[in-house]
Amino acid sequence: MEDDTKLIEASKAGDKRAFGKLVKKYEQLVYSFSFKICRDKDKADEVLQETFVNAYRGLKSFSGNSKFSTWLYRIVTNNCLMMHRKESREPVVSLDEANLFHGTDELQIPHWGETPQDSVLNKELKEILDEAIQKLPLDYRIVFVMRDVEGLSTEEVGKALKLSVPAVKSRLHRARLFLREELNPYFAK
Amino acid sequence: MKATEHKKYLFEICEKIDLDLNSPTCKKLRDHLAQCPNCAAYYDSLKKTIVLYRDYNIEMNGSRVKEILTRLDLSEGSRQSESSAFDGETLGDEPLKINIPKKHRH
Repeated sequence: MEDDTKLIEASKAGDKRAFGKLVKKYEQLVYSFSFKICRDKDKADEVLQETFVNAYRGLKSFSGNSKFSTWLYRIVTNNCLMMHRKESREPVVSLDEANLFHGTDELQIPHWGETPQDSVLNKELKEILDEAIQKLPLDYRIVFVMRDVEGLSTEEVGKALKLSVPAVKSRLHRARLFLREELNPYFAK
Repeated sequence: MKATEHKKYLFEICEKIDLDLNSPTCKKLRDHLAQCPNCAAYYDSLKKTIVLYRDYNIEMNGSRVKEILTRLDLSEGSRQSESSAFDGETLGDEPLKINIPKKHRH
């Protein structure tokens, strides 16, 4: 497989086939990340197309200081944020840690049963996961997906979102606790 | 042990959940988890939460390469995308400005 640098340079020089190869290489990553933020296939498809259009138009200013994929993550994030702001008023959700640790004063934390493995997540479970993460404010959702789901480092997430490392950690911490609380009723024995 | 002491460990669990708990820096937490069923249950459920979302993948229904290239050919050199993610900013690979609502800033 041709490396990104060559394809990017060729694309900058106007080689559309080279840009097509970049799209081919990264479209699944972009679509998947978009879906994990939007939780909607149509929106993910729209963000996918808009992201590569933005990327092509902005490619000349991509200097290569960050990975191409990190740059794409950043464009996706902005597209998702813009779409989200156009469409909705975010519900007010408390991410106060006192609320997130609700019930732990009693310290009777129920054990979770076995959770399904990757290939057998059924429709009902997917709906539960979608519903829980959709309650999470988008700014927190983005950090959780980038760090815990996509596996970017804390530093990469901070760089992409222009957040300090402590701010990334704080959002991640609260997002994890929030999602655990949301899923607890379904998995607690 | 008081509830507040346990809470301290619950915070630490979240901080260290993506580290190898066998590392020396996690020894105190590891020892606590071994003797505290509640914190062990919490650690397990938090880890499962992350794994569930990590395992929830979605595949594209066919490639979009043609559509994207066609769209670029049609629009190239003419209009700017109305919903550009960059609001006229130069698209460098410096971090993009994202306006995080104040209520969520830390």
